[in-house]
Amino acid sequence: MAEEFMVVKDLYKSFKDLKAVNGVSFSIYKGEIFGLLGPNGAGKTTTIRMLSTVLEADKGEIIIGGHSVKKDAEAVRSIIGVCPQDLALYEDLSALDNMVFFGRMAGMEGKEAKAQAMENLKLMGLEGRAKGKVGKFSGGMKRRINLAIALMGSPQLLFLDEPTVGIDPQSRNHIFENIQGLQKKGLTILYTTHYMEEADRLCNRIAIMDGGQIIALDTSYNLKKQIGSPEKVTLEDVFLKLTGRSLRD
Amino acid sequence: MKRALFITLNEVRLYLQDKGDLAFGLLLPVLTFALMYGAFGGETMFKATANIVNEDSGVYSQQLIEKLDSIDGISIDVMTAADADIKLERSDILLALFIPADFSETLSSGGKAELVFKQRGNGGLEGQILAGIIRSIAGEIDQEFQALHRVEGNLEGNDIPQSDIELTVRSLLEEERQQPSLGVAEEVVGGSTEFINQYLPGIITMYVLFALSLSAQAIVEERRRGTLERLLTTRLSAGELFFGKFISITARGFIQTLILLILSYAVFRLFTPVSFLACLVISFVFAAAAAALGMIIAAISRTEEAANWIAVVVTMFMVMMGNTFFQVGEDSVLATIGKFSLNTYANKAYTTIIAQEGALGDVWLQLVILAGVAVAGLFISRMIFRAVPGSK
Repeated sequence: MAEEFMVVKDLYKSFKDLKAVNGVSFSIYKGEIFGLLGPNGAGKTTTIRMLSTVLEADKGEIIIGGHSVKKDAEAVRSIIGVCPQDLALYEDLSALDNMVFFGRMAGMEGKEAKAQAMENLKLMGLEGRAKGKVGKFSGGMKRRINLAIALMGSPQLLFLDEPTVGIDPQSRNHIFENIQGLQKKGLTILYTTHYMEEADRLCNRIAIMDGGQIIALDTSYNLKKQIGSPEKVTLEDVFLKLTGRSLRD
Repeated sequence: MKRALFITLNEVRLYLQDKGDLAFGLLLPVLTFALMYGAFGGETMFKATANIVNEDSGVYSQQLIEKLDSIDGISIDVMTAADADIKLERSDILLALFIPADFSETLSSGGKAELVFKQRGNGGLEGQILAGIIRSIAGEIDQEFQALHRVEGNLEGNDIPQSDIELTVRSLLEEERQQPSLGVAEEVVGGSTEFINQYLPGIITMYVLFALSLSAQAIVEERRRGTLERLLTTRLSAGELFFGKFISITARGFIQTLILLILSYAVFRLFTPVSFLACLVISFVFAAAAAALGMIIAAISRTEEAANWIAVVVTMFMVMMGNTFFQVGEDSVLATIGKFSLNTYANKAYTTIIAQEGALGDVWLQLVILAGVAVAGLFISRMIFRAVPGSK
């Protein structure tokens, strides 16, 4: 049986009367790409914030790499990397300076941080732009830097929150290849996206959230099988079937 | 602590990258200094032009003008009566002294001569002061004539040449002027009389308050960039983030003030080396207190607009209630309210050092209060900070 790298048990979080996360439980196996899908307002962001130690849960338990988020958040932060949906970069600084800075924040020494920054830039195909100001980069390049920063400090678990929003197919494909490469290196990845074909292509298992709860969790194949022939139905069909067609905020 | 210093270094790097911000931050003290120099750099004494219509061709009117011209700060503009009337009519000048044609002759003959002030309205403040000075000189000349005529009258028939009498009387009067029987001494209460010494504390405190506005933006800027949440998922703690920001903003506020102080030291020669160092200590502690208050604003502000507005209101309060540019009555309600303004303590400290030539030991209470605000402000800001709503 695969080793569980992250275990989430009975997670709750409310904001006044709104139950944003309402009893969520799931596990992610080591080396797995786990997709977390859901319409807007489903509770994905709140869940990721709790998993990445930014937000404290009202109730429930999160164990990452054997460390409790509640009891030892610093140990958890030392093994995670977060690639937020919105670009989180210092646009006035160079790509290299951005990466070295976040490397230092991840506890790396100067030379080590610089070496890893160059390595990650190479991985993202940006080694020639190391000294360039991030503010002058294209949207796709910024997305790749955003992802490269998340890799600083050699995390064991990566949170990728819609890492391919608003970029061209070439950059998106490059990011996919990198994510698959990272998985081969043994990284565990939690991936959220609104692009169903991305989740279908990349994720080993997929959880669909709605109303603060996980309403389905399985492999893409098994999810499709629930509503028809896996060869004929798409993940989007499953998603719409489970979450409904009404518009969300 | 190490990561807090990386935050500080990153802030410095970002500051140096933003050329506009850098230019603003460094040039502003120089610009302020230039304005100060323009306002206070020259003579601080009264300056005025005496507009004179001299219709007399005698020696005594000339003597009056020469005496007036010999006074520092007063220059003479001799004009015709027609010119004076036109200028008065157009309000180009507010007061003119008319010396009548028979002025010298009347004085020589022992008669009663008269000067005429023609003025627009009350002659203006400058005109009133000039008129007072002219009256005083006229009084001196009158006394000289009175004395001379009486001595001549008493010595009449003693075969003493009139020139000898005049010489003796004039030298005695000059002696009296040099060593008057009735003197007026100046006693300065509260240190220097220089305007710059009175205003510099207010200008410096205004400057240091920039630290408050800067730190109010510290966290919302990270929030706007999206880097705040990312930073808080690294090993950096919120406390380290706040401390790193606090150090960089304190340093920036201090450096801006340092430029102002160095220029004041070099050009105005306002300080001794010891008082200069004392001012640096006050500036550092005050910048830290202002930065810490700004961090509280940063902790509660969700948007840049909110941070700006709160910082503006707090800064206005500090300036208005803190004796920055006008003195608040000691036992008034405003003075009680002013105790909540950092400027009250900073101004008191600067004024004690700059204008009253005090020492650092004289301002220990103000320094302790400002340092206390710095420590408490930083602590409170961290306590009330929430990275995202609902977080701890």
